[in-house]
Amino acid sequence: MRFNLKTIGLCLAAGTMLVACSEPPEIAAKAAKRPDVAPYMGADNGFMTKGWKPGEQVSWTEAINKRNQGQTEYSRVK
Amino acid sequence: MARMKFICDTERCIECNGCVTACKNDNEVPWGVNRRRVVTVNDGIVGKEKSISVACMHCSDAPCMAVCPVDCFYRTDEGVVLHDKDICIGCGYCSFACPFGAPQFLSTGAFGVRSKMDKCTFCSGGPEANGSVAEFEKYGRNRLAEGKLPLCAEMCSTKALIGGDGDVISSIYAKRVSVRESNGRYPSKDIFGWSTAYGPSGSPAPTPTPANKIPGAKS
Repeated sequence: MRFNLKTIGLCLAAGTMLVACSEPPEIAAKAAKRPDVAPYMGADNGFMTKGWKPGEQVSWTEAINKRNQGQTEYSRVK
Repeated sequence: MARMKFICDTERCIECNGCVTACKNDNEVPWGVNRRRVVTVNDGIVGKEKSISVACMHCSDAPCMAVCPVDCFYRTDEGVVLHDKDICIGCGYCSFACPFGAPQFLSTGAFGVRSKMDKCTFCSGGPEANGSVAEFEKYGRNRLAEGKLPLCAEMCSTKALIGGDGDVISSIYAKRVSVRESNGRYPSKDIFGWSTAYGPSGSPAPTPTPANKIPGAKS
């Protein structure tokens, strides 16, 4: 009987200590990944380029691809 | 759908370190961290000395994503590999896994304590609101959301570093190779790091992390 009480006591102590290792839900929520906003939605910071409409993916892709051509001199030098 | 990639043309890089400086300045990268570096091999050997501008290549099958114990990485629809600094614990596993040495850590504390990981974001920020102050402070500029391309590539004086949609930049590079071949000099068809980062030609496109599949993300 005495042995059983000791075992139960040890189990309770271990359980109490393990609870201290758990993560409260509010902390776990903070550590969860957040979905990112797509770049074609634009940035609200006054540095946006002109020639495309924020929120329209096709418009953004066209603008980016057009800008990409600035990296080849063959299109500028004949 | 654009699939963002970098190409560094070793025949053109003159080791000016303009890309490194531009990146540090525009993103206000702290002292001790370089998101982009220029590496020179065969130093002093005439004809064999080559310089390469190296940063995160935003791999198709990114090893950093695979080894992260807290799963802080995600891939955008544009194929850019980003991470959430609020989740990163600075363990450094990504640094060991990356074949390009992209993940960087700032040692500010005692006993070699590392900061949260910092790396090239392809100038597309992080999970904070696009162009916000919070995003800038953690990840730097979000030029993609402003309709621009990474500054390192856009300001490269010799156009050695090209960044943007993989199809577009590979066509730019192919044109260069054909011109070099026609001149009979240094065609240099192989692109540094491409097979390592994106696999052999014909490899399937990477799968972006869907928003509703991100653990803990609110639908």
